[in-house]
Amino acid sequence: MADKITSPDQLLARAQQAQADLDLRQGRKDTQVTVHMGTCGIAAGARDVVATFMTEMSAAGVTSASLHQTGCAGLCEEEPMATITAADGTLYRYGLLDKDKVHTIVINHLVGGTPVDAYLIKT
Amino acid sequence: MHDLSLFLLDIIENSVRAGATRIRVGVAADRAADSLEITVEDDGPGLPVTPREALDPFYTTKKGKKTGLGLSLFRQAAEAAGGGLSVGRSTDLGGVAVRAWMGLGNVDRPPLGDVATSILTMVATNQEVAFAVDLVDGDECTSLRGSELPQRLPALVAYQEGLT
Repeated sequence: MADKITSPDQLLARAQQAQADLDLRQGRKDTQVTVHMGTCGIAAGARDVVATFMTEMSAAGVTSASLHQTGCAGLCEEEPMATITAADGTLYRYGLLDKDKVHTIVINHLVGGTPVDAYLIKT
Repeated sequence: MHDLSLFLLDIIENSVRAGATRIRVGVAADRAADSLEITVEDDGPGLPVTPREALDPFYTTKKGKKTGLGLSLFRQAAEAAGGGLSVGRSTDLGGVAVRAWMGLGNVDRPPLGDVATSILTMVATNQEVAFAVDLVDGDECTSLRGSELPQRLPALVAYQEGLT
């Protein structure tokens, strides 16, 4: 999801954004966003999902959640996947993610507090 | 996998999952020798199986799974590009060392891809791990360490765009 960089200014902006994203994600917060990055997840686009979460969480000013990665969850057909762990321990597993879905999840779930039922994995 | 940066990401993830606290990544291009080498070393507990088992796609240490495709897919891609892949012990860090090599100009070599984003996503989501990245292009070597990685992202991007 990273756009093609065509100038030194864009390089610098991307680096500064990355530093801001890292600062934002220091430590483990009450709410945790964990992207599954096993071989299946990576092949399905998990790296872009992480990058989009970084960008969207930063843009939305989310400071109450931290971003992490883990391996395969055993639901390879649902990759790329992310699990949001709420402060009370409730797990929300989202599957078949793309850039637009991540945007919606950040706005509705992380900012608004309402899980996006349509993207949750039904088991 | 579409490109080498995704294989690299997968191998780094293996190290993280094994509990490594130090991970060293190397990408080395030698245009004169027509070679490209990618290495990942860690200070984790080391291979729990033989290298032969680690490269077997139908062997995995993960509970509940029957396949372990990451290393075997990477080896297949390297071999298709005139190279190979080895797994062993890191002499410097004490954990696992994965080394893949291939022909830089081989028509079957996958593109390098977005190494910068692969590194950045792992750094951002595993802040307890100390990452080091060495980029070599002929006689030029760029070393990036830990917290400076985000600021040095342009060096990573410039390197990968010089190789593609």
